Amino acid sequence: MIGIDSLRFQYPSSDFHLDIADFQVADGEKVAVIGPSGSGKTTMLNLIAGILIPDAGDVTVNGIAVNELSDAKRRDFRITNVGFVFQDFELIDYLSVLDNILHPYRISSALVLTGQVRARAIVLAEGLGLGGKLHRNVTQLSQGEKQRAAICRALLANPKVILADEATGNLDPRNKGHILDALFEGVQAHGTSLVAVTHDHELLPRFDRVIDFQSFRAGDET
Amino acid sequence: MISSAYIAWRYLVFNKARSATLVACVSLIAVLPFTLELLLNESERQLLSRAETTPLLVGAKGSALDLVMNSLYLDDQVPELVSTQVNDEVSESGLASPIPLYVRFQARGFPIVGTTLDYFDFRELKIREGRSLALLGECVLGSAAAESLGLNPGDRLLSSPETVFDLAGIYPLNMKVVGVLERSHSADDVAVFVDVKTAWVIEGLVHGHADLLKVRDSTLIMERTDQNVTATAKLTQYTEIDEQNIGSFHFHGEPEVYPLTAVIALPADAKSGTILRGRYVTDDKTTQIVEPTEVIDGLLQNIFRVKNIIDSVIFVVGLAAVLALVLVFALSLRLRQRELNTVFRLGCSRYTIMRLLGAEIAIILIVSAALVASVAGVVSYYDEQLVRVLFVN
Amino acid sequence: MGTNTLFGIATGGGNRDRRRTIKRHWRRVLVATLLLFVASNAIADNKLVVFAVNYPLAYFAQRIGGDDVQVQFPVPAGVDPAFWMPDVAQVIAYQQADLILLNGARYAKWVDKVSLPQLKLVNTSVFFEEQYIRGDAGATHSHGPAGEHSHGGVTFTTWLDFSLAAQQAQAITEALARVRPEMAADFERRFAILRSELLELDSEMQSIGQRTAGKPLLASHPVYQYLRARYGLNLRSVMWEPDVVPDQASWVALQQLTNEHPARWMLWESEPLSDTQQRLTTLGISSLVFSPCANVPDEGDFLSVMRANLEALSSIFGPGG
Repeated sequence: MIGIDSLRFQYPSSDFHLDIADFQVADGEKVAVIGPSGSGKTTMLNLIAGILIPDAGDVTVNGIAVNELSDAKRRDFRITNVGFVFQDFELIDYLSVLDNILHPYRISSALVLTGQVRARAIVLAEGLGLGGKLHRNVTQLSQGEKQRAAICRALLANPKVILADEATGNLDPRNKGHILDALFEGVQAHGTSLVAVTHDHELLPRFDRVIDFQSFRAGDET
Repeated sequence: MISSAYIAWRYLVFNKARSATLVACVSLIAVLPFTLELLLNESERQLLSRAETTPLLVGAKGSALDLVMNSLYLDDQVPELVSTQVNDEVSESGLASPIPLYVRFQARGFPIVGTTLDYFDFRELKIREGRSLALLGECVLGSAAAESLGLNPGDRLLSSPETVFDLAGIYPLNMKVVGVLERSHSADDVAVFVDVKTAWVIEGLVHGHADLLKVRDSTLIMERTDQNVTATAKLTQYTEIDEQNIGSFHFHGEPEVYPLTAVIALPADAKSGTILRGRYVTDDKTTQIVEPTEVIDGLLQNIFRVKNIIDSVIFVVGLAAVLALVLVFALSLRLRQRELNTVFRLGCSRYTIMRLLGAEIAIILIVSAALVASVAGVVSYYDEQLVRVLFVN
Repeated sequence: MGTNTLFGIATGGGNRDRRRTIKRHWRRVLVATLLLFVASNAIADNKLVVFAVNYPLAYFAQRIGGDDVQVQFPVPAGVDPAFWMPDVAQVIAYQQADLILLNGARYAKWVDKVSLPQLKLVNTSVFFEEQYIRGDAGATHSHGPAGEHSHGGVTFTTWLDFSLAAQQAQAITEALARVRPEMAADFERRFAILRSELLELDSEMQSIGQRTAGKPLLASHPVYQYLRARYGLNLRSVMWEPDVVPDQASWVALQQLTNEHPARWMLWESEPLSDTQQRLTTLGISSLVFSPCANVPDEGDFLSVMRANLEALSSIFGPGG
């Protein structure tokens, strides 16, 4: 459950500003966000994740007011509650597939890497067809496999929110479908909210709701 | 849970070439001063311990350092020669006991030390295998020489000609190895010990050949008078001494002028040593008496002066290398900016990122330290031989 | 000339091997082992182990050292110690000594051919090196089946001048005292007795020398140079061996010698062959044994042998004459 209320954000030394009057995503709801480049879609994802702090208004995730947390708390909140999937995967190239999936557990004291976690990671990866490649270096994977590994990494901690930024942008059409399948499967299993920025209009029908970001901002402003 | 060491390790393993270069770089910088220190300490030990146990040395006037290096460390730089009279002078003075040294010839690259049995008592050299010198033509090997030459008592060892073009025709002497010494951790380990008289046999001053009075082959005789028989060059001299021909070995000329490289003088007491030294102060002497510790102290002072210079050079080079390493790290951080952004977005703190980098540096330093330690270990194990190879010879 | 006591070096070639060879190796080994055994016993008794290169020195050392020293003289009986060659075991036995007594005057060439600790070597003729008698220039020659040797260079039978013998004994005394200073007084006391006995022989021999009044004498072998020099004997030498029949050339040479040196007596190192004796008698020359006593005598000791020598000589020229 994501809630944005009377949000205002402006980058320092830039006249771009983002105003969102009201935006809600229910648990298990899958929302697609479309719109031209530079309209602020990624900025909104960063605000939800607590990477950016709004100048005014509130961002709540699962009842937590993200903008009121301290820096350290926000980092812990992010790594435990938010799963990221990026356009260019953002995998760590010197680690194996499994180590990449487990990586969040190794870089934060908010997560504890146990045998159970490791077992779950393996099950998850096998479910996404990476079973035989867990110990390969990620540079040896195909584009589709890389993104599936990234999805595993995002899902492993059972986050409340998955934020996907052009997650299918670098994939061929067949893979796009598979990746979306994988994301939806993970989201549905845990009632996770999904906000996916995308340019792939052919995928839009599969989302619960589609927001045209330009008109969404304009509409709210008026 | 933060596993910075694991992640750092994976990173270093993935970038093997870079890591290896860094380790090599750090190790090289660190290994230099360590091994230099080790080797210098060892050479100081060797030089001093040997010098301290050798109270006085009498030799020809000239370089005191050459004299000491040849007599104490069997350096192949042969000093000016003195005659056995020097030995007799020390003996007849009643102030000190002489031990003659004739360190001039070599056998297969190892110095032949011509001396008397007293040398073995003086240096406390013990026979490990075989027996001590008894007859002319025998030799006793230092442990390292025996090992390196692969010789045992009963084997033979040929002395080397002094130069390749030895026109004087000094015949190499086929010495009989009769004993091998226990390791003494000194230059004596590489020595081939012979009686000083055997060294004179090698030089040709003492030799053996068929009796000229009995010779029937007239081509062997150049001139025959009532008083003397002169042989031609055709007369073969014995190149091996055995029970049959040992009787024919004889001295040519006056033994008082036979050569030595030095005489070790063991004074009865400190006062006798001072008196003996006084006798060599006069200018008209062709000989000098030196206290090896003084000569070696002088040498060590020079060595340490050079070491100080080397140390400061190493320090500067080390500093430059550290700066270069910092640069390498800074550049690799820029290369890793994307990765760092990623983990930051995932929820990793800057502090954790620093830990990650710190772990990398720590691992590089630990591996380098281990490497340096093992090199230092090897060096300190072989320091004795290394010092001998690098400094003394 | 300086002494090279330290190496005991001698110049000149050749060697005389007069030993009546005991060739069996095991016997030599046995002797050497026995020596080592005796030597080690001596060490156990804290006795000084003293090796000598000839019998006179061994005798002096025993007289001076008494029970405090263990004197070893490993040269086999019947062998001239001057021309002996030890084997390895015997050399090693010498090396174990506390002191090794050398005669000096280039005696015992074997010393040049072995390794001995120079700091243990004692040159007993250190006090009279200037008095060494040089022989004829270094002509080398051979004779008889026993081998060849040189009589050139320095002659070495120094102890036949009893005043020199006393000085050799003194050198031994000083060497012993250097090693055992606490016993110096004992050594001195015993040396004084020996010295008076040697000087007694010396004065007796002096008087015999006077009694010879320059009468010509012959020596069968050139070993009496110091005797001749000290006691004024008119002595000339041939080169004969007691146990070898002289050849015709030797007799001719003798004839020539006696023409200008009409001697009636010939001194021998030991009893000559009776044939030789008889033929000499026909020439009017009587034989007389004057033993240099370089090796252990069959009977008596150094002093008794020398007294017998003097008595024999004295008997010719009349006692107290």
